[in-house]
Amino acid sequence: MTRVPLSPFAQTVLPILGAGSLILAWQVLLPLAGVPAYIVPTPTAIAGVFARNGSLLLSNLWPTAIEALSGFVLGNLAAVLLAVAFVHSRTLQAAYFPVVLFFNTIPVLALAPVIILIFGLGMLPKIVIAAVICFFPTLINMIRGLESASASEHELFRVLSATRWEVFWRLRLPRALPMLFASLRIASATAVIGAIVGEWIGSDKGLGALIIQATFNYQSDRLYAAIVLSSLLSIGFFMTVVAVERWSVRYR
Amino acid sequence: MAAPAIETSGLDVGYPGRGSPVTVISGLDLTVEAGTFLSILGPSGCGKSTFLRVVADLLVPLAGTIRVMGETPSAVRSGRGVGFVFQDATLLPWRTARENVRLPIQVGRRSLSRMIDDRADELLELVGLSALSERLPHQLSGGQRQRLAIARALLGEPRLLLMDEPFGALDEITRDRLNDELLNLWRRTGTTVLFVTHSIAEAVYLGQRVIVLAAHPGRIVADHDLRPLKGPDNRCSREDPAIVAAMARMRSALGAAS
Repeated sequence: MTRVPLSPFAQTVLPILGAGSLILAWQVLLPLAGVPAYIVPTPTAIAGVFARNGSLLLSNLWPTAIEALSGFVLGNLAAVLLAVAFVHSRTLQAAYFPVVLFFNTIPVLALAPVIILIFGLGMLPKIVIAAVICFFPTLINMIRGLESASASEHELFRVLSATRWEVFWRLRLPRALPMLFASLRIASATAVIGAIVGEWIGSDKGLGALIIQATFNYQSDRLYAAIVLSSLLSIGFFMTVVAVERWSVRYR
Repeated sequence: MAAPAIETSGLDVGYPGRGSPVTVISGLDLTVEAGTFLSILGPSGCGKSTFLRVVADLLVPLAGTIRVMGETPSAVRSGRGVGFVFQDATLLPWRTARENVRLPIQVGRRSLSRMIDDRADELLELVGLSALSERLPHQLSGGQRQRLAIARALLGEPRLLLMDEPFGALDEITRDRLNDELLNLWRRTGTTVLFVTHSIAEAVYLGQRVIVLAAHPGRIVADHDLRPLKGPDNRCSREDPAIVAAMARMRSALGAAS
């Protein structure tokens, strides 16, 4: 059975109506059902925090944004470079890939205190945690991407006597880009998670710290505002990655 | 007199297997005159694609000798003497039609790449794709993609064009038309063409000479010179009784071999 596609107007408006109806239900029905505001504050109460404590929220957003972004860049860069090394040296891959695989089985949450112990309480340990959390999916996807060129594509470059360098820049890398961006999109959200988890364990600023403080002080509206802001931060990173992807992968 | 385009003797080709190598072609003796359009016909597994890969220096033979235009395959490849057209067009999906055709002048030994003129537009014209030069491969039909692959292979003005079932995935109508276009290109450029196919009709229609290979191991079981039927410009009609009879001979050669 084929279904008639929705009009562009409906495709834009319906999600907004959907989200709006849920927010409205939250605003009206939850207090009626007797859910206390210290467990779930209403959307207007949360919006109120943005109005009243805007500068507090913003001053806690920046550290988290910087940590997440730095971790995102470092973790993915390290993953891409290691993937390049692995696909060009079987020896290197055979020797170190199992080690990386083992390292990945350690939960980042369990590793976070160790990273704090090593790097102290500043921004650096949060950046490292965000980087570690981004690293592995990108490494795997990048290795697969760099090796995704077909046998006949490699034969074509060999018939043309292309150098390894040319095969890399003109074949392997463009072939890998769609898979790289698939993992960068995931990493855009996980980098924020990494930064926040890092802040939970030891920090007095950042959205993670704000979440912990608000929880301990029963400032539920502030807690929810911090959650919303974390989500907006992830969405911002995600949209940036998607925009760069649209610009660099123009086919298909 | 010019060296033959291809000269092999006692050529054994195979792939390294567990323990002993798997022989695909055994004891191949073949001489192909320069400028010939040679069809290589055979069933799957007879080593016809493998043979092209030896000529293109993508594969090193296990034993025997092979000279390509009097040189080693590796010398010919690094001197840009061969063009290769694969069964799937093997176009890079992120490049436009024109940029795909220009690939040969962008890679390979720099000095050699610079010696090749940028004839991309001329070649696009020749294969009838000028109007589509800014399209991406996925915006082209199967036949247009193969035309593009042929234009790319011709960019370096190769003395030898190797084609590995290039029209195998196309519908018959498109295939017939591309066969005629290919013959026109061949008449114009005068390169030697080694054309691998598993279609008897295609092999006979295109080739001045047809060799029939059998499998396990790959070897020549029939070698037909069709020039007496087709004249010097290699023209024929698919309905010509002599051509139909030649196809029947190939069919029985293939049947007897398997």
